[in-house]
Amino acid sequence: MQMSDAPVIATHRLVKTFGSTRALDGLDLEVTPGEVHGFLGPNGAGKSTTMRVLLGLLRADGGTVRVLGGDPWADAVSLHARLAYVPGDVELWPNMTGGEAIDLLARLRGTLDRGRRDELCERFDLDPTKKARTYSKGNRQKVALISALTSDVELLLLDEPTAGLDPLMEAVFQETIGEAKAAGRTVLLSSHILAQVEALADRISIVRQGRVVETGSLSELRHMTRTTVVAQTDQPAHGLDRVGGVHDLTEQDGQVRFQVDGDRVDQVVRALAPLGVRSLVAHPPTLEQLLMRHYGDEGTAQDVSGQNVSGQNSREQAVPR
Amino acid sequence: MTGSTAVATPTRRQELPARPNSLAGTGVLLRFSLRRDRIKLPAWVGGLGLFVVYISAALPQLAPTEEDLDSVVPLFTQPVGRMFTGPAFGMEAPTYERFFAAGYAPYLYLLAALMSIMLVTRHTRVEEQTGRAELVRANVTGRHAALAATLLLATITNLLASVVVAALAISAGFAPTGSALVGLGTGLTGMAFAGITAVTVQLSEHSRTAAGAAGAVLGASFVVRALGDMTATGGSTLSWLSPLGWAAQTAPYVHDRATPLLLLAALTVATVFCAYLLQGRRDLGAGLFPARRGTAHAHPWLGTPSGLAARLQRGGLLGWGVGIIALGTVDGAFAQALLDAGEDMPPAMQDMFGTSGLLDGYVAFLGSFVSVLIAAYAVFAMQTLRAEEGSGRLDAVLSTRMSRTSYLAAQVCVVAAGAALISAVTGLSTGLAAAGVTGDWAVLGDVGGAHLGLLPGVLIVLALAAVLYGWVPRLMAPLGWAIVALCALVTLFADLLDLPDWLVTLSPFGHLAELPLEAFAASPFLVLTGLSVAGVALAVFGFRRRQVNVV
Repeated sequence: MQMSDAPVIATHRLVKTFGSTRALDGLDLEVTPGEVHGFLGPNGAGKSTTMRVLLGLLRADGGTVRVLGGDPWADAVSLHARLAYVPGDVELWPNMTGGEAIDLLARLRGTLDRGRRDELCERFDLDPTKKARTYSKGNRQKVALISALTSDVELLLLDEPTAGLDPLMEAVFQETIGEAKAAGRTVLLSSHILAQVEALADRISIVRQGRVVETGSLSELRHMTRTTVVAQTDQPAHGLDRVGGVHDLTEQDGQVRFQVDGDRVDQVVRALAPLGVRSLVAHPPTLEQLLMRHYGDEGTAQDVSGQNVSGQNSREQAVPR
Repeated sequence: MTGSTAVATPTRRQELPARPNSLAGTGVLLRFSLRRDRIKLPAWVGGLGLFVVYISAALPQLAPTEEDLDSVVPLFTQPVGRMFTGPAFGMEAPTYERFFAAGYAPYLYLLAALMSIMLVTRHTRVEEQTGRAELVRANVTGRHAALAATLLLATITNLLASVVVAALAISAGFAPTGSALVGLGTGLTGMAFAGITAVTVQLSEHSRTAAGAAGAVLGASFVVRALGDMTATGGSTLSWLSPLGWAAQTAPYVHDRATPLLLLAALTVATVFCAYLLQGRRDLGAGLFPARRGTAHAHPWLGTPSGLAARLQRGGLLGWGVGIIALGTVDGAFAQALLDAGEDMPPAMQDMFGTSGLLDGYVAFLGSFVSVLIAAYAVFAMQTLRAEEGSGRLDAVLSTRMSRTSYLAAQVCVVAAGAALISAVTGLSTGLAAAGVTGDWAVLGDVGGAHLGLLPGVLIVLALAAVLYGWVPRLMAPLGWAIVALCALVTLFADLLDLPDWLVTLSPFGHLAELPLEAFAASPFLVLTGLSVAGVALAVFGFRRRQVNVV
């Protein structure tokens, strides 16, 4: 669908302030055509503010922002014909039915595809004849999702779209996003559900205090962080902490446990081999660990993630392969 | 426990109460409700008290001696007057206290009923609908505790209202027995409607439906009483069929009979009993009647800016429109009674309706009065835009192809069209009613002109509200209502209170020709209309420049 390779979303040193609060503090975000881009960060990091700037509802105080090649503040209407937005906390008109709200928003975006809309209602198991005031949070969320997915647009801006959905519906959601991607749509997906992001996102940006602190594919991000290694060797492995890139080495009952920088794994495996490896388990950091590094205080988060991995989890998996 | 084989834990069984206490926790909930209503309760009771104080102080202003009351009495004794007030006991020998009981006490009863409907809905169904009741019921609270606490709160509130009303009436120099009857009538009417609402909240899942059903009972009671009292002075059989009529039937300061109050007490007991019975038969959060379903698909017009605006404004337009039109029609039907009373009406009231040509003055007054109400509708309607924005729904709408210009322009145009529609229909219905009772069909055109001639005044208020919404939305409510209050003050009291000129100039209605007292003047009509259009353009300009939903 996208003709050029120019980024669908590009912000450069984006600043947004509310009074004395700097909600966005030089945010750089780039989303390329056809990708599902995970947008992660703790509450209050500036994810929703970014979305609302991208929609032209808020005006940037500094930096540049381009959406689909246009300026979201000046060209809002023409851009909105090419995108659909699902807010994180969907509020509907209490005396309209869910079906009416779906149709209303889809029609305001462009034309309504009745067949697609009915199919999505079916898949998301939504009763469109109920008044919106009787809907639970999950059902309100479904209304906004169905309306957005019904529309034939190039870009989907999803701000925590599945908060309140049950696991079954979560699976349906992931399916539909897969379809959107196959159809060439670009998706910016803000989410707290890490399994969802791991399953869907091609690339990820982690935002903290109004800034993107890390961006890349999941494997790239993993590469930049430490891998946890648990090994059982015939000979004691205490010399290993002299190898560059090895951290937090502990030894217990002939089992050695340490963390190694992503780009030093090769050297460490070479150093281990002569010791007679009986079992070896290496955990790349989970997305959760990646995030914990950025969510909390930088230093303690590192320790916490180290502790986590050396817990019961690794013992279960420490079987020879 | 006889014959039971499961006697493994006899001691624990004995610890359980003999039967579940469905009222457990009532005391705690009552204290909690009192705290939640610590502003509302004194405000309502104080408001009712203020009403008594104001009326008792204003009566000597209206008629300096009790003999002067004779000339105002027709306002309440005419059939249409009785329709609005009550059975008009003792008006053959009017005193201030009888005048208070005949013309104003019925509004105390009405207000107490409204207060109780809102109180009961607020503390029962609203709590269940929001899910807060579930949090409470999960603790050691019985099935009926919330309802019991609410009804106790209603009792306390209405009791206070009774005492305050009676005490203030007595302190105004009114007879103690009659004052006590007015006070008790106020409180017991409140309790009867608290009971009625306790029943309606069991029926529907939604607080608005529940309050609406209780409001419908109140409306029907008003109509039945109005028809009953219209039929004969002192009321007829119909008056006795309406709970709103019973308090008035005590005939305070005239016959001073307490028996009708027993009817109110009996209705309270019966409805409360009914409410407990119904509550025992339903689940928490559920209604006895399931919620109605709606259409699965939207009408194509809903997907357009004006379609959306029409849908969002529909409810408000209907509510305000029906209310204003009904009021105007009844006022129109009042025309003949006014003409009859007019010859010897006190000068204060003649001032209000204009000095020469009583009917023309009345018609012009109706036009201004209704136009102020329509201006209030316009400000109210613009407040819905704030709600749309604050709830985040505007985000969803503006993230589509809908431009800000078309959104705001469509909303303002729909409100303007609604205001014009109310004005035209009220003018027509008021005119028809007035022509019907006076037999003078020329009045139809006069009334229409009196209404439509002031429409630019409404439009300019709407445009001002729109400009505030476009530039400084948080000032729209306070400034918008201030403008309406100013218009009302100038329209109703400019002559009576001798208001300063600069204040009178601020009301847009003063600049327009007052039909039929004055000839139609095209230039102020066109200038104000043009200014309104310019105002809307300015509003759109501001709305395009400002950010959406920033706290």
